[in-house]
Amino acid sequence: MQKKLVNLAEQGLFASVVFILFLLVFENKIAIPVWLQPFGRMHPLLLHFPITLLLLAVLMEAFRFYKAYAANESYRIFSRNLLLVGSLLAAVTVIMGLFLSKEDGYTGSVVQWHKWTGAATFFLAALLYWAQQKRWYSRVVAQTGSVILGVILLSAGHYGATITHGADFVLAPLTKNQTPEPVDIQQALVFNDVIKPIFEQKCTSCHNPDKLKGALALNEPEAIQKGGKSGALFVAGKPEISLLLRRIHLPVEEKKHMPPSGKAQLTPTEIKLLALWVKGRAEFNKKVVDLPATDSLRILATTLFSPTELTEPEFAFDAADDETIKELNSDYRTIAPLSKNSPALSVNLYNKASYSPEKLQELSPIKSQVVYLNLNKMPVHDADLKHISQFENLQKLDINFTDITGKELNQLATLQHLESLALSGTQVKFADLKNQIATFKNLKTVALWETGLTDAEINQLQKAYPRIQFIAGFNGDKSEPIRLNPPQLGNSAIFATSTVVQLRHPVKGVVIRYTTDGTDPDSINSPLMDNKMVITGSKSIKAKAYKDGWISSPVATFDYYKNSYKPDSSTLLLPLSPVHQAEGVKSFFDHKLGTFNANSPAWANNWLGVRKNDLVLVSEFKKPVSITSVELRTMIEPETSIFPPSLIEVWGGNSRDQMQLLGTAHPAMPIKGSSPVLKAIGCTFKPHTVSYIKIIAKPLAQIPEWHSNKGNKALLLVDEIFIN
Amino acid sequence: MEKEILEHGLNFNRRRFLSRLSLGLGSAALGSLLIPDLFGGGSADDESFTPGMPHFAPKAKRVIYLFQNGAPSQQELFDYKPKLREMWGQEIPPSVRGTQRLTGMTANQKEFPLVGSFVDFKQYGQSRAWVSDLMPYTAKVVDDLCIVKSMYTEAINHDPALTFLQTGSQQGNRPSMGSWLSYGLGNENKNLPNFTVLLSRGIGNGQGVYSKLWSNGFLDSIHQGVQFSKGEDPVLYLRDPEGMDRKARRDMLDNLAQLNEMGYQEFGDPEIMAKVKQYEMAYRMQTAVPEVMDLSKEPDDIIKLYGPDCLVPGTFAANCLLARKLSENGVRFVQLYHQGWDQHGNLPFEIAKQAKDVDQASAALVTDLKQRGLLDETLVIWGGEFGRTSYTQGKLTKENYGRDHHPRCFTIWMAGGGIKPGIVYGETDEVGYNVASNPVHVHDFQATVLHQLGLNHEKLIFKHLGRRYRLTDVSGKVVHDIIA
Repeated sequence: MQKKLVNLAEQGLFASVVFILFLLVFENKIAIPVWLQPFGRMHPLLLHFPITLLLLAVLMEAFRFYKAYAANESYRIFSRNLLLVGSLLAAVTVIMGLFLSKEDGYTGSVVQWHKWTGAATFFLAALLYWAQQKRWYSRVVAQTGSVILGVILLSAGHYGATITHGADFVLAPLTKNQTPEPVDIQQALVFNDVIKPIFEQKCTSCHNPDKLKGALALNEPEAIQKGGKSGALFVAGKPEISLLLRRIHLPVEEKKHMPPSGKAQLTPTEIKLLALWVKGRAEFNKKVVDLPATDSLRILATTLFSPTELTEPEFAFDAADDETIKELNSDYRTIAPLSKNSPALSVNLYNKASYSPEKLQELSPIKSQVVYLNLNKMPVHDADLKHISQFENLQKLDINFTDITGKELNQLATLQHLESLALSGTQVKFADLKNQIATFKNLKTVALWETGLTDAEINQLQKAYPRIQFIAGFNGDKSEPIRLNPPQLGNSAIFATSTVVQLRHPVKGVVIRYTTDGTDPDSINSPLMDNKMVITGSKSIKAKAYKDGWISSPVATFDYYKNSYKPDSSTLLLPLSPVHQAEGVKSFFDHKLGTFNANSPAWANNWLGVRKNDLVLVSEFKKPVSITSVELRTMIEPETSIFPPSLIEVWGGNSRDQMQLLGTAHPAMPIKGSSPVLKAIGCTFKPHTVSYIKIIAKPLAQIPEWHSNKGNKALLLVDEIFIN
Repeated sequence: MEKEILEHGLNFNRRRFLSRLSLGLGSAALGSLLIPDLFGGGSADDESFTPGMPHFAPKAKRVIYLFQNGAPSQQELFDYKPKLREMWGQEIPPSVRGTQRLTGMTANQKEFPLVGSFVDFKQYGQSRAWVSDLMPYTAKVVDDLCIVKSMYTEAINHDPALTFLQTGSQQGNRPSMGSWLSYGLGNENKNLPNFTVLLSRGIGNGQGVYSKLWSNGFLDSIHQGVQFSKGEDPVLYLRDPEGMDRKARRDMLDNLAQLNEMGYQEFGDPEIMAKVKQYEMAYRMQTAVPEVMDLSKEPDDIIKLYGPDCLVPGTFAANCLLARKLSENGVRFVQLYHQGWDQHGNLPFEIAKQAKDVDQASAALVTDLKQRGLLDETLVIWGGEFGRTSYTQGKLTKENYGRDHHPRCFTIWMAGGGIKPGIVYGETDEVGYNVASNPVHVHDFQATVLHQLGLNHEKLIFKHLGRRYRLTDVSGKVVHDIIA
């Protein structure tokens, strides 16, 4: 039985040898019918069996004449049968492989190598099997044959793996991390640095000279121009009819969609880049920066070169010694590396008083490393520039508002890397700049604000040196007139007996004009504020600020309030509104005035408020005082339901229990549309000498009909109480 | 006892050691399967972070953040929506509104009529960006700005949103962005605090700002924001007490330092030396701060540029000018808060005044930095904590309306610091309710800011209570499209 089976197998092996020879010889004339294609495609499935079996077989053959096994019959038979089965499976695999290679996309040198090593494996295995029966089959033959077969088998496997997985598949995870050198945008080529990387990442694993799927290679310009089996890859300038883009835009389910489903797909940006490249006539030698600045391809490509962590600026010099840096660092001289791994240093000097030229001179141990130097507002003189010129790698120099005159600027011209020079607020002269700026080779920006150079002169410089940007900055003399802000009160608005009216304005050279009769001041008739007017009673003053070249300020109203007596202690008999508490009862007499916008935020304001109950305050004077009026400073803002009290009562007496009504007031209610005001309201009465007073103010119980909040209780806000 | 130890030593022979070792090696190998970088020699070096040292060379050295507290309405300032005007009074389509949650203020509102901006927009500069008539000065510098119209956040109320933007978490107690930068970048000027805060208030409806917004969280307290207030004492407790002159202060500090040195010798606690350093810095601040705060030497051009209010302490203009001076003097992060942008009602009246308050000085700051050659190294950011709704809050009349909080989109602008100038990034839908393209999450924004300062947001970490913390928590992507 076994014998029969072996015979049958041997015959099959012989037939396979003949058939494979036939296939190889007539390879070019054979066409594989469609129904046989699945058979060919089982090649990658089956190939693992012959590899394993044959490897085992050659291993056993190599030890066949080993003393312990030479006499072992079953070892010999097992080894022989193993080789037979392996060879047969190798035959099937080779046939399948040859069928598969007739399908599209299997061209290129790796495929050829794979084919011939694969076929060689089979023939050698068959040969070895045949030789085993011969008398001359010796230890040497067995071992040599085994080694050769093993080597060829492994190389066939290697080439096959290269076809499916691509070269360097195994070691890729280890080598991949060595990211390619970042390319400088200035040097970048559209094809080489933008388009080619896309092909390399997404296409060339199949479309390379070794694999040539669809007879297309996408790694070299020539091959790309040549196109593939389906014709030219693109029509220059017409992405919409170009094969490349058509294949990319096919739905993923389509067979011809590229890259095939299951492989990494192109991102929208990559597709856009390819389309724009084809649209721009698929140039191979153009630089990115040669494209117009508004070109979509350039804009998109530029983002690829946008600074990421990888584009850390590179410096040709070594880092300075850490200890040296540490020593040179002081409270007023900060020296810090640009980043953790950067050799470049940034130096800032502070505090005018501690500056001396030596502070720069001392930096000579790190002169190569300083790339940024900030001497803003330091008393640097022309003579110090020679100390700055030692920093040979300096890129940015800030000498704004220093004492340099610009005569010695060419001292800095030796700084080959200087890109930015800030000269704002210095005494540099046009003539000096014009003559010396040409010697700066790499300069990109010069700040010249507040230097005394006219706009015309700066324009002239700009024309003479178009590669440099000259920053002129803001010129107040040329700007449109600006409105002044209103004058401010210079002293306390609340006084006991008399005070001097004091108004001031923060802008130099402003004059203030005022009125005391309630009219708006004007620039001709109204008196100038001299800050000498003495007043002895409450007064309202309107004032405006004027200055040449400015629009006069809006009218400001300043109310001076007289408050002769401050009670020694006060108590509120009813609670305040929970949101308008200010600092409690003492806020009535703390001389801090509230402003509009009582709600933002309510707790940080000076207003004391009541809504649900009356405001009832009892105050005590340790020494009796003679009073004739009581006023409450209130906010009236109908829009937000803040109304004056409907009634004010003032009671007074010599003891807490015996007080008489001194006066009442019924404040006028605001009418619809009246604007918000802050004013003191109260009542006057005949002089009374009192030790205690009680003030009752009733919030408006019903907001009038015209108001959107009609019928509800109004809020009463008081910030100060004046007793005279 | 000694016997057992000896026996244990003897038992611990070579064979046992090796067999144990194999177990250890095996588990280490197994572990490396789970944590691929476990034995990756190269990457370990990148991970280590040295405080005060950027990961890579920064584009920006400093930040000035003009925070518009209360959330300015993008529809009235930068996000031009003609369609919204066309659809005036129409109910917002449910397809647009989606499942967006509402605040307690409008949750019970019956109708949500769309309302277009009361103010007109025009295009400016080479970028042809749309800017509303409320911002005439900003419109003039539009070619220096990168306007991001597609910001979005997660919070819907002021405090959580503000806290989220500043600290990366809605709950607070984490370090603020300025503290993170101070930690990551270190001091440029050792005589001023690294992170300063300036507050101002506009005329509009305001919301509180609290010191937790400039808290150092779990970072060292030297990274805390220092508030500079208006008035005679810009930095509290800095001035010498009355009767103490500078020499007496110096002597006191020297003697104190000697005592502290003794303490350090005895206990070796580094906090002692940190304290000495802080005393010294405060001493130097006594001269540095008044110099910075002095506005009297500013030229007239500056007064006109920022507007005369810049000489009135406590105004937004004055704070902008101070911000420039602080930044110019090496302060890493100057944080401004301008309150009053919370226009739930009465919007047309309030926002006009509010915009007028900030427009000139914001634009001036950009111009001023530019004319000193500092704009390329200073990142200026302008914006609020979220946006406002496209529909009205409260009653819609011809003249008046309001807008509620809206987290799904808002507009900010950035300038300088290596951000692309003259671009508009991101778009919202036709009614300005949803982001239509290029969304930028708060964490993306934070990651981008850190990136500009040379910091990798994924590596700027601080280990606290057993976990690693980042400003961007566990997400955030650098928006490379807006980086020059």
